[in-house]
Order: sequence, then structure tokens, then C-alpha cells
Amino acid sequence: MTAGDEIVVCSVEELPPGARYEARDAAKHGVTVFNIAGELFALLNYCPHKGGPLCRGRILPHATSNEAGHWKFEREGEIVKCPYHNWEFDIKTGEALYEDRLRARQFPVEVRDGRIVVRIRSGESPRAGVRST
Amino acid sequence: MGAVDSVAKPSVEQLSVSKVAPFLVDCDCHHLWHKVDDLFPYLPRQYVQEIKDFGSMFPLGGWTNVPGTHGYRIDHDVDETTNLAEFTVREHVDRYGIDVAILTGQSVYPVVGMTNLDYAASICRAHNDWTLEHWVASDDRFRMLLAVGPNDPVQAVEEIDRLGNHPAVVGIMLPAGGRNPYGNRVYHPIYEAAQRHGLAMVTHFGGEGRGQTNPPTAAGYPTYYLEMRMARPQIAQAHVTSLICEGVFEKFTELTWVFVEVDSWWIPGLLHHFDSDWKSLRDSTPWVKRLPSEYFRDHIRVGTQPMEQRPRREDLYAFLEQSRADEVLVYASDFPHWDWDSPTTVKADLPEPMHVKVFGENARDAFKL
Repeated sequence: MTAGDEIVVCSVEELPPGARYEARDAAKHGVTVFNIAGELFALLNYCPHKGGPLCRGRILPHATSNEAGHWKFEREGEIVKCPYHNWEFDIKTGEALYEDRLRARQFPVEVRDGRIVVRIRSGESPRAGVRST
Repeated sequence: MGAVDSVAKPSVEQLSVSKVAPFLVDCDCHHLWHKVDDLFPYLPRQYVQEIKDFGSMFPLGGWTNVPGTHGYRIDHDVDETTNLAEFTVREHVDRYGIDVAILTGQSVYPVVGMTNLDYAASICRAHNDWTLEHWVASDDRFRMLLAVGPNDPVQAVEEIDRLGNHPAVVGIMLPAGGRNPYGNRVYHPIYEAAQRHGLAMVTHFGGEGRGQTNPPTAAGYPTYYLEMRMARPQIAQAHVTSLICEGVFEKFTELTWVFVEVDSWWIPGLLHHFDSDWKSLRDSTPWVKRLPSEYFRDHIRVGTQPMEQRPRREDLYAFLEQSRADEVLVYASDFPHWDWDSPTTVKADLPEPMHVKVFGENARDAFKL
């Protein structure tokens, strides 16, 4: 593995639960690491729908309902809505919630010596949900 | 590298994108003010005082919105200090190599619902002067549409005669929220003036259901924003059929009308049905001398945004062919709104033989660029 295959995004302290941190020039479009309740997930900042900066969108819960005018909010902090067209993506899996076979690119994340490291290499499946501590 | 918190406003790096066509025209580049106070230098004294005392009193609607700061996308780094014209040039016109960006406004679309016609006319005049000074003057790729109040055709014509010969003025904006469909003869003096000055008419959805206009749908008021978005093609069809049935293009043979942000999926169905029924009922509107679809092809253009999507590419291509998209569509970005279409994504959807016309040449003809 060469030095170009991985990047140090930030220190563990710089990415507390609920936050995200973007390595702006990584993998051409930027790579963002999200900390969801202590677990880390890295996504490419490129929406598979129409190429928008996906990881800069609003982070929201999943809104569901069984009756008009009533909302239930589940999975707080786990959904990102792309700034273009507002499509909903599962941060943990990269999958679009409401479009079959559409998935944002994920990267493996490690914590090494107190630093958050993302492996940027094609063909490797990411480890889901690496813990930050 | 940088931290991004849950309300992210990163600065957007300069990324130039290769140009999608030799001549690229954006037929829907919204230019916005920060607040109505931006018009104060251009408004008569009594209206400045009224706005300070009572607010702008623009009629509002509760079923449509443009979220984000001043209507800009959430990934745009915009706040109340941003020079929005410079931002538009940097983030959009320069980035995509746009040759002509037509400023379609937005802030004063509610004039169609105002009962105070003098106030509406003053707002339009002020908006036009403000646009010239703050937008057109900042980059020679900008062109503008004149804002006019359709419900007072006398003042609308005065405004067209005042600024219609300005080289940056390429058309006249009539938002979709008409009190009547736009073929109605009360509006014809506006079209006479437009044709006399060589200007296109442009209709963008806006104003429907606000103040003294009609509900956005023929069945009444929509409840949800999603529902309202589905209403836009309905109002476009109402205006298209009215323009053709009232003989507007027989009376004003040089007039071009561009419909923006009203979808395009309705085009083949409407034209087929319209032609078919004309053959049955032609003698009750004999001044409609040709097939309605011929008037449409010769005089009406439709913005690409939102670009039609189909599950299979062959279905999309069949739709584009049935719509005669190469003749009828003009590229429209809808910058800076969240549901916009970049030139690159539209390019991926359009068959290559259509690129030159849809991205530039159809607009060049329509707006005499």
C-alpha cells in the first residue's frame, strides 16, 4: 500500500459524535467522515444521482408516517439529503433510501494512533461502522 | 481540509468544467436581491415610506418555496454580505463557460397578484433599474428580462418602451399567475410592444394562487409543496392553448414565447390532442389557420429544467423525438435553486445531435442573441 492509498482526515478529537469532517481534495471530489454515535463512516462527496456535493447536505432523521399530518422521526443523524434535489441517503451504507441500486461510494475508515485514516483504493469493500474509540 | 458542522457552509473551490457546447445559453439564471430594501434607491418616495412603515405587502403563497439562504443552495456560501452578481459569475457563468446568462429574476413575481397596480408597476420599474445597475453592469454575459405588471397593460407598455431598446434587454417576463390565460386580448398591447422591440415573451411559474390571481390548479389550491410542483405544467398548458386559440401568433407573427420551469413531459400529449381536436372544431376558431402544433414549433420554446427523466434511455429518446426537442427545448439551469440542472447532467441526457441547438442555437434565435 502506498502513501497515496490512504489519507489522514483529522484527529479523533476533531470528529466527535454527531459531527462530520471533510478531506476536501481527496479522491477528486472530497471524502467526508461522519461520526454517528461513535461509529465512523466515510463517503465520497459525490452524489450518484447527478453529481452534487452529497456530504455537504443536511443531516436529518428518517421521517416516516402512518397518517397524513403526523410525523415520526427515526434514525436521527443517519440520513444525509443531497444539496441538489434533496435525495435521502443512508450515511452508514451509502444507499439511496428511495431509489433502487443507487449508492454513494464508501471508503474504509480506521482509527490509528488517535487519528482517523481513510483508505482510498478501488475494489476494497469498506468495513462498516468502525468505532472511533 | 476543514471541519464541517451540521450547518455546513464551506466555500466552493473554483472548478472549471469543460463547456458542453460551442455556444452555451442559460435561459433561467435567477437573480435575487438580499431584501426589498435593495430597491429603495430606485423607488418613488411614497413607496419607500410605505415599505418602511408597513412592509412590502407582497402577496404570499403557502405551498411553494425556495429554501436556503435567499433561495441559494445549501452548499452555496452565501450570506447577507455576499455580492450575489459576482457570486453568480464565479460559481456559475465562469464555471460552466456560459456565453449568455439570461436573468429571470424571481423576487418580483408576486406583482401578478397585487391589487395596487401603480405599486406593482413601480416595483417592476425599480427592479429593472436595479438589475441593470447591479447585475447587467457587472458582466457582459448577462442579459435581462423586463419585469412588467400584466394587469395594467398601459404601464407595462410604457416600461417596455422605456427600456426595450437597451442592448441587454432580450425579453419580457410574465410570471405564470395570470388573472386570465395569456392569449386573452387584454394583454395584446404588451405583445405588440414586445414584437415592436424584437423581444421574446417569457413565462416562469410564479404568482399562482397569490393575492388576486387564480388557484394554481383547476381544481383549487394544492396543500403541499410537492403537489404544487405538479401543478406547474397545468398552468403552462393553459397559457399555451390560450395563446394559440386566441390567434396571438397570427396577430403577432414575429413573437416568440419561452416557458421556463414548467416540465416538458406534457408536450407530445398536448400537441397531439390539440391537433386532433382542432380538426373537429376548427370552424369555431377559424383564425387558428394552421395546426396548433405548428404554431407551437414556430413560436413556443420550453426550458429543459427539470430535465425529463425516464427509466430507460430509449424511452427518454423516444420522448425527446416526439417532442421535437431539438427544435423546441432551450437549456435552462434554474441556478441557484436546489432542484437545478447543471449543463453537464443535461448533456448526458440529450442525444449528441441535439446539443448544439438545445444548448445555444435555439435560444440564440428565440432571444435574438
